[in-house]
Amino acid sequence: MDEYAIGVLTSIGLLSFIAASAYVLLIAGELSFGQQAFFGVGAYAAGIATAMFGLPLPLGAAIAMLLGGVAAALVGLPALRLRGLYFAMATLAAAEMLRILFELLHWQVELGGERIGPDGTQGFRGIRWVFERGVEPLGFLVLVWGTLAAVLAAIHFLEKSRLGASIRALGEDPELAGALGIDVLRLKLGVVALAGALAALGGALFAHHNTYIEPRNFDIMLGVHSLAYALIGGLGTVFGPLLGVALDLGLLEGTRVFHGYRMIVFGGLVALLLVWRPRGLLDERVVHWLKTRR
Amino acid sequence: MRRLIFLALMAPQAALAQKTDATLDCKPTGKDFVYDCLIRLNPALAGVQITLGADMPSMPMAHQVKPVKASPTETPGEYRAKLDLEMTGEWAVKLRLAGPVRDQLILHYEFDARGARPVKRSPKPPRK
Repeated sequence: MDEYAIGVLTSIGLLSFIAASAYVLLIAGELSFGQQAFFGVGAYAAGIATAMFGLPLPLGAAIAMLLGGVAAALVGLPALRLRGLYFAMATLAAAEMLRILFELLHWQVELGGERIGPDGTQGFRGIRWVFERGVEPLGFLVLVWGTLAAVLAAIHFLEKSRLGASIRALGEDPELAGALGIDVLRLKLGVVALAGALAALGGALFAHHNTYIEPRNFDIMLGVHSLAYALIGGLGTVFGPLLGVALDLGLLEGTRVFHGYRMIVFGGLVALLLVWRPRGLLDERVVHWLKTRR
Repeated sequence: MRRLIFLALMAPQAALAQKTDATLDCKPTGKDFVYDCLIRLNPALAGVQITLGADMPSMPMAHQVKPVKASPTETPGEYRAKLDLEMTGEWAVKLRLAGPVRDQLILHYEFDARGARPVKRSPKPPRK
C-alpha cells in the first residue's frame, strides 16, 4: 500500500471517531456543533500524558477519554436545559471557549534539552510516543482501525440493548420517553459524556499521528464536518458515520480534477444529498430493509 | 578506561540530542498551487530520504496532499521537491526524514502567488 493510500485511510479512521461521537448525540436527538472541543481535549490530554509525563499511549488515551467525558458532561449540565438549535449554539460557544483556553495554555517542561508542552498559539510539538517507538504509518493505520472497530462494535451492541432503545426513544420523543419512566436528563447527560469520550479518543490518536497539535486544529470547521459525516452516512446504524467520512474524503479525493474548485463541488454534492436523503444514506428505513432481506 | 567507557556511553546520547531543523524556500511554478520547494536541512546532512506532505491546520485531515519524495541537489543538505497544494493559505508541511537521521518535522508556511513565507505567531504575552 502506498503512503498516500495509508494517509487517506488513517484520516478516515481518525475522523470516524468524532463522526461517531456526533452520531451518538444525533440519535439521542441532540445536534452538537462542539464535538471538536472534546477531540481537542483528548489530543492535549494524551499529548501531555505521553510527551511530558512519559506515560504509555494506552494510558494516555484512557486519561484523554476520561477528561473528554468529564469536559463534555460539564458542558452538558447547563446546555441540556436548552433544546434544538439553542443547544447546538451552546455547544458551539463552549467549544470556542475551550479552543481559546488552548490558546492561553502555556505549560512546558525541559526534556532532553527541548521545551516540550503546549505553548498557546505556537502549538504543542514533540508528541512523539508513536514515532519514537518506530511505529510505521501502516502499523499506526492498523492501530487506528483496530481501535475504531472495537468502538463501533461497542456502540452497535449498546444500540441493540435496552439502554440503546431508551436512547433512540429519547431522540424520537423525549416527553414520551419521560412518561415511560426514562430519566431524560440523566440519560442525555450520559450520552453527552460518552460522545465526549469518543471524540477525545480520536483526538488522542490524532495528536500521536501528527506529532504536533495547535488550537486551530479544533475550530468550527472540524465540528461542522463531524456533524456532516454523521448526517451524510445516515442515522440508522453506527456504521453510517464511517460511510459518511469515507464518502467525504473519497469525494474530496475523487474530485481532484476540479482542483481549487473541488470544495465548492463537494459542498454542492453534500447539499443535494441532504435534500434527497435528510437522515443520510444508511437511514433507519434502509437499515430495516437490509435486516428484513436476510 | 573509565573515561573511555563514559565517552562511549555518552556518544549516542549526544547524537540523539542533535536535533535536525529545516527551512523551505518555495516558488510558484506557474501551474495553479504547485510550488517548487528547496529544502535546507540544518545540520546539512547528505543522503537523507525526505518525504513531504502537507495539511491545513484549520481543516485537519480534510485536505490530503499526495506525499512526494525530495531529491538531493548538488549542495549537501539541500533537497528539492514539488508540492501540489489545493489552495493558497497556511499549510503545515510535514517532513519525514529517514536514512542517516530519522525524524519528523512540521513547518508552518503561508503559501500565496509569490511563494511561501514562514508563519509568525505572537509568542506568549509577558506577565504584567
